[in-house]
Amino acid sequence: MIQVENLTFSYTGEPFIEDMNFSVERGEIFGFLGPSGAGKSTLQKILLGMLPNYKGTALVNGTECKSADSTFYESIGVDFEYSTMYEKLTARENLVFFSSLYKRKVRPIDELLSKVGLERDGDKKVSDYSKGMKSRLNFIKALIHDPDILFLDEPTSGLDPANSRLMKDMILEEKSRGKTILLTTHNMQDATELCDRVAFIVGGRIFALDTPHNLIMSKGAAGVTYTWSENGEQTGHCDLNNLSEDATLMKLIAENRVTSIHSSEPTLNDIFIEITGRTLV
Amino acid sequence: MSPTKSSFLQMVKFIKRDKMLLATAIAPILAGLAIKFGIPLIEKGLVSLTGAREVLVPYYGIFDILLAALTPVMIGFVVAMIMLEERDDHIDKYLFVTGLGRKGYFLSRIGLPAGFALLVTLILLPLFCITRLSIAEIALLAIVGTLQGILISLMVLTFSTNKLEGMAVTKLSSLIMMGCLIPFFVPTPLRYVFTFMPSYWTGAGIAEGNALLMLPGVGIAALWILILYKVKD
Repeated sequence: MIQVENLTFSYTGEPFIEDMNFSVERGEIFGFLGPSGAGKSTLQKILLGMLPNYKGTALVNGTECKSADSTFYESIGVDFEYSTMYEKLTARENLVFFSSLYKRKVRPIDELLSKVGLERDGDKKVSDYSKGMKSRLNFIKALIHDPDILFLDEPTSGLDPANSRLMKDMILEEKSRGKTILLTTHNMQDATELCDRVAFIVGGRIFALDTPHNLIMSKGAAGVTYTWSENGEQTGHCDLNNLSEDATLMKLIAENRVTSIHSSEPTLNDIFIEITGRTLV
Repeated sequence: MSPTKSSFLQMVKFIKRDKMLLATAIAPILAGLAIKFGIPLIEKGLVSLTGAREVLVPYYGIFDILLAALTPVMIGFVVAMIMLEERDDHIDKYLFVTGLGRKGYFLSRIGLPAGFALLVTLILLPLFCITRLSIAEIALLAIVGTLQGILISLMVLTFSTNKLEGMAVTKLSSLIMMGCLIPFFVPTPLRYVFTFMPSYWTGAGIAEGNALLMLPGVGIAALWILILYKVKD
């Protein structure tokens, strides 16, 4: 669905995106992870045809992005991080207007509003919406023309846990409907949960690209910490994949003396820091 | 309905809701009435006051030139304000990545309003003009006026980042209409300094009674529009 080969882009003389290569398959959720200024937004702009002066190849749905015309956007839905609504209009008026910009059949507005819990707020002006409500409205605006590819920029930013869950479930539902999704985020937990594959981007380069599971596992096994009582509380550690070789633990299990046991996997965030030497903030 | 038409109608709805913008959009009609009936009255008063045979009559053409430019300039200002608001709210960037696209956006915000302004000018100018204008003069005055409206929209969008700055830039950029005064009041060769202004040529055409002299104004306005569009890009 998306092919990027030897992509280089510069705002000035210095390359900002450098020799980037990746591809995204149909129906895949692909995450771009990186700190601010890493090049994620620039990459998104290139793929959206907003920055045509790049070198290399950037194909989206078979179209070279620099030659994007209005038909290119019929199959693309974009949810920018910030609200892109007419504040003086109601949510419904906004959705009616934006849906009129597409030739393809649009999805029912009431159904979309109700999916994100805004069915009672459809006739409220957007200026009266909270930040979370605007985020949800922005998201369904990207779905209104039932696009094949979704570009989502920090879709759960500013949402409470319940609405964040709702949004993530909707993203997974879109994936199950065969949509290809490009997710740009700082949120490693969202990326781990949603993405089939992620790319770590720093300084305009891809440092790693794999499934979240493989990335986590590539940097050593999870550890296991256990405790037992013997002259006060004692603590032991071992690797998850060498559990049976830990004689103390085996003995404690046999004697039913383990008082607590838990595993701790490295997070995607730990892996990101280890690979790139950078934090995400 | 095409995305471009839909986007244009959305803007019209927006203007109807905003009283200030609506008042600006209907101002040319009020100005037309003021010119048609007010200027001859003032002339009458000045003649009886000074005893001269005519005071303003030699300059009536200037009022007609301004009348021709007024509708496009006012519409250009309204459009620029809406586009600045859309820029403030990041809506323009979003519209670029919809079925409307970048070209469709500029067509709906600048192209179609300019076409509308041209049509209104072609109706208002013969109704409210105070000199005898030929069809060629009416057409060329309306075309140069419309191009000036587009020019003002692009100047406001290029040189301002928000609505407040936009209003200030509009005031300054409206000065481009004043070029029409030059052929009436500034002697040669000094007047040639102002030939870069499209309105200079409308002034020259009316002052000399030669509509063909307005043609360079069309070319110069188109050139400025092209330059500003490229700069803004």
